[in-house]
Amino acid sequence: MTWHMDDGLATRYADGDLDATLASSVEAHLLACAPCRELLTPRVPRARLDRVWEEIAEAVDSPVPGPFERALRLVGVREHTARLLGAASSLRLSWISAGALALLFAVLAAGETTRWGLVGFLALAPMLPVAGVGVAYGRGADPAYEIGLAAPYPAVKVMLMRAAAVLATSALPALVIGLAVFGRSWAVAAWLLPALALTSLSLVLSRWFEPAHCALAVSALWLACVAGTNLGEPSLAMFGAAGQLASLAVTVVSCALLAARGKKAS
Amino acid sequence: MSVVVEGLTKTYGRRHALDGLSFTAGTGVTGLLGPNGAGKTTLIRLLATVLAPDRGTMRLLGRDPATERQAIRRRLGYVPQEPGYHRGFTVFEFVDYVAILKEMADRRTRHDEVRRVIDEVGLADVSGRRIRALSGGMRRRIGIAQALLGDPELVLLDEPTAGLDSEQRLRFRDLIARAGEGRTVILSTHQIEDVAALCAKVVVLKDGGSVFEGTPKELRGLAEGRTWVGGRKEGPLCRHTGEGVFRTLGDPPPGARPAEPTVEDGYLLLLHEAAPAATR
Repeated sequence: MTWHMDDGLATRYADGDLDATLASSVEAHLLACAPCRELLTPRVPRARLDRVWEEIAEAVDSPVPGPFERALRLVGVREHTARLLGAASSLRLSWISAGALALLFAVLAAGETTRWGLVGFLALAPMLPVAGVGVAYGRGADPAYEIGLAAPYPAVKVMLMRAAAVLATSALPALVIGLAVFGRSWAVAAWLLPALALTSLSLVLSRWFEPAHCALAVSALWLACVAGTNLGEPSLAMFGAAGQLASLAVTVVSCALLAARGKKAS
Repeated sequence: MSVVVEGLTKTYGRRHALDGLSFTAGTGVTGLLGPNGAGKTTLIRLLATVLAPDRGTMRLLGRDPATERQAIRRRLGYVPQEPGYHRGFTVFEFVDYVAILKEMADRRTRHDEVRRVIDEVGLADVSGRRIRALSGGMRRRIGIAQALLGDPELVLLDEPTAGLDSEQRLRFRDLIARAGEGRTVILSTHQIEDVAALCAKVVVLKDGGSVFEGTPKELRGLAEGRTWVGGRKEGPLCRHTGEGVFRTLGDPPPGARPAEPTVEDGYLLLLHEAAPAATR
């Protein structure tokens, strides 16, 4: 060590008047020199120190958002809403990609572009959002569920927001898989209304039962219906006009019940 | 009074978890004591507005939870019996998550508040650690930290010291005592020592009803002149307290000498006398 700070240098450093090179040199020296640190301390405004410390603490403590949370922020979702959504296990990249891969392999195993393959795809695709919603919320899925119930943020709102996010994140890969495997056809989107119906029905039932159990029961019912119309040969009866109308009716009634529940909760 | 409960009844199937319970609690720590199944957790969940009663009325912080639930929740802190944590979250992330559920939307203000409560429970050094890597005692402190967010006026703690070792329990007593300064804390516990050390008031529950409401000193007073130490095991309320030494409550056994009662003595005697004769 060949030099020490004098009063003038300490004051200029504290005021931020030194050029970058000299400031770096002073900082390197300060790390090893207690007398110079003592000389500098009274010259630095307390408020400025507090502000710098707060900024450091904020940078160190702030939660690091996951990929899904970052994507939500990019499309304009507010930071705290993105946090609430990102905490759901079915809204993590691992779940979304695992669901998409499972659907893809199931379709490939069912014979790709054959009629059985299409029925398999249309039967399985609505179950992606139903399963996702089942594990997005509730006592079994959310470790902080009980704490959340006693918090002022409406639990129904969290449930519905997560359900909407799960619907969006599972519909996109399923549509892409459908288009990639079966090409452009109305049938590729024929599972959308059934998906809405099953998801909304599952949400309505979660008023009384654990959401994961509701998802399981609704999925089993759905598979039984599809199997019942495909006993002999592959049939798209569940996805025709009558099936779509039935799905629409279930969706409308379920959404009305959910809206009433949301209104009551708020 | 911050908490006024009258004739509270909650039934699960045929079982009465609470059966016409009434009590009041004001500023300071109020202890809820009672054997398993007495209704403590059901009561705490009702006070937390997580459950609704079948019958009876509650006034929490001067409001009716049936019509003003959100307003009560904004002034409430709650540590459930088995608080769950997102184990992949850091301490800060988890408390921040609960802060969002408590409607703290502004990120900077919320983070300041999160830092404050984490510091208050002594977890500042592990704020960035994953919850899965923390000990049971530290996780319990996270539970307290989230309950203190927003400086609530009513804090409900359901067996916060269960499963902790003696040293951790002593630390928790300090924490709960500090939490009870200037606010109402309802502490459900099996630890009679905690009640004796912390509570200004104690309510003893049995079979869904209150069998005692008073100070720990008054609870201890129930065993005044009815606590004995001797060398023989005598009667149903006799326990071994040392080599060849037995502590008996109730009528004096032959050769026993009177002893200074404790809060636990009063509690045991109360429960025994409140039990139906056939089960004693």
